[in-house]
Amino acid sequence: MSLSQSIRLSDSPPADPLRQFSKRVGVATLVLLGLWSLALWLTPYQPAAADFLNRLAPPSAAHWAGTDHLGRDIATRLLYGAGWSLGLSLAISLTGFVVGTVVGILAARSGPAGDFAVMRVTDSFFAFPELIAAVTFAGLFGPSTTNLVIALMVVSWMKFARLARALTLSLGDSDFITQARLNGLSNGLILWRHLLPNILPSLLVLWTNSWSRTILSVSGLSFLGFGVQPPSAEWGAMLLDGKAYMQTAPHIMIFPGLAVLLAVMVINLTGDRLRDLMAGKT
Amino acid sequence: MKSFLIRFVGLLAVLFGITLITFTISYFAPGDKAEAIAHARYPGDFGIAPEVLQGIREEFNLDASFFSQYTHWLADVLRGDFGVSYSSRTSVWVIFVDNLGETVTLTLTSLAIGLTAAFLLSAVAVRYPNTFWDRGAVIISSIGAAMPSYWLSLLLILGVSVHLGWLPAYGTGTFAHLILPAATLAFWVMASQTRLLRTFMLEAYDQPFIETLRLRGIPEREIFSRHVLRHSFVPALTMIGLDMASLLEGAIIVELTFARSGLGSLLAGAVLARDLPVVMFLVMFFATAYVVINSVIDGVQHICDPRNLNKAKTS
Repeated sequence: MSLSQSIRLSDSPPADPLRQFSKRVGVATLVLLGLWSLALWLTPYQPAAADFLNRLAPPSAAHWAGTDHLGRDIATRLLYGAGWSLGLSLAISLTGFVVGTVVGILAARSGPAGDFAVMRVTDSFFAFPELIAAVTFAGLFGPSTTNLVIALMVVSWMKFARLARALTLSLGDSDFITQARLNGLSNGLILWRHLLPNILPSLLVLWTNSWSRTILSVSGLSFLGFGVQPPSAEWGAMLLDGKAYMQTAPHIMIFPGLAVLLAVMVINLTGDRLRDLMAGKT
Repeated sequence: MKSFLIRFVGLLAVLFGITLITFTISYFAPGDKAEAIAHARYPGDFGIAPEVLQGIREEFNLDASFFSQYTHWLADVLRGDFGVSYSSRTSVWVIFVDNLGETVTLTLTSLAIGLTAAFLLSAVAVRYPNTFWDRGAVIISSIGAAMPSYWLSLLLILGVSVHLGWLPAYGTGTFAHLILPAATLAFWVMASQTRLLRTFMLEAYDQPFIETLRLRGIPEREIFSRHVLRHSFVPALTMIGLDMASLLEGAIIVELTFARSGLGSLLAGAVLARDLPVVMFLVMFFATAYVVINSVIDGVQHICDPRNLNKAKTS
């Protein structure tokens, strides 16, 4: 409080903590992506290169996280696995974000009857817990990465639809929307310029939550054998590999789990901070 | 009354949607259903005659259109006939009842332990804000929300079963088999609910009437137990309902990791064996349970929230 007051006393414009935070997140993301590519380029190992003389080796200077049951370097596999675990879940949650937002806005804009129909369809999909839908779909249609992604995408959009609908409805009769309509703006323009900028921040917070949940689902399903299949270095699939060697070489299952935990925590905490900052703004 | 009717129609529509989605998945699932049924009927007989397959197709209406098959199946389901398992040739209902107990025991035990722990932790955190306890509660709940339950299961097996040798690692049956799985699931319940309960209690403390109570000289202990608790109970109830799906998911992962019998293991096994009647029933059961539990909680919340009392009287 005193900080913002003192800033306002000087002539510089007031600092926007939300904008500052977004900038910081952007820079941090770029730095992490840079470090990741650098590490991929620098590592002397291939994710699938077996080295049978060095099986189940504990962490050392040559293998920072040790090697697995085929002598593959775990640290290298974790780096490649980030592409699977984080990348797939990013694609899935982004699809849910876009589809759900479109469905939600359509429901809110299509009158009471249309709204009722669209939202009951949404509720029907919402009733299937993600993991159960994914196990059923991926199991019946054959466990593979493609089927896992399809299954999780099908059940990824409902929360966004509910939130987008609620936000659109609550903004529908606000003064600035009425003003824009009286000024003769077209529906599309109102949507693009006035509605979306106002509902996007809340949806973005939900999206961070959805991304981290999807990471847990993707790696969990792969661990159970319904997702990405073992030669690929997905973190859950790596845990599945390590499970059998738990007693002799616990490091095989420690590091992939730690990677999932850290990734999910970082995304969750970023989302929490974003939510708190937005709550403080309004 | 009108709003109740609309809700009820909505609930029916959703239940109808659930059956439609379930049937669509099984209809498009790859593999010859007639062959699966034939193998279940004549085990060990690998050269099934085409005439037999044709007979089964006619008997089960497998050549009919999507719509006709769906209505036949739906009529059976509504009559309470869920079919017979392809692989064990027993009634799906009997298999379900056999496995239900283990899952209910696991979820209820974890829910009871987890909620008690969450309640104590968040109460301490809110009563003593910005202390070691408060920070600890926040950190534990952040870790718990991000912890993959299958990894926690493995760590517990490694530590408690393999190194200490105190408890059995895999299987079902005795009380000792229940401890580790229930602890894994309870940790998740505790973490997710502490986070929410703490927020709801803090919000309750922000209400103006709390200040009034303080000015009237009501002791802090009484303000907490009689007002803050009640105030935070309503939103907490909704969140527990919404988290029901995650709880079921958690139970499935834990069952599979600890090789426990139960509905989760049953679903995974049936899916891999393409035992469609069992799969369809279980998927429908999970979805229906989720919807019904949430509708009930919705109603209870409506009754519990004192702000709705006046609304009900005026309308």
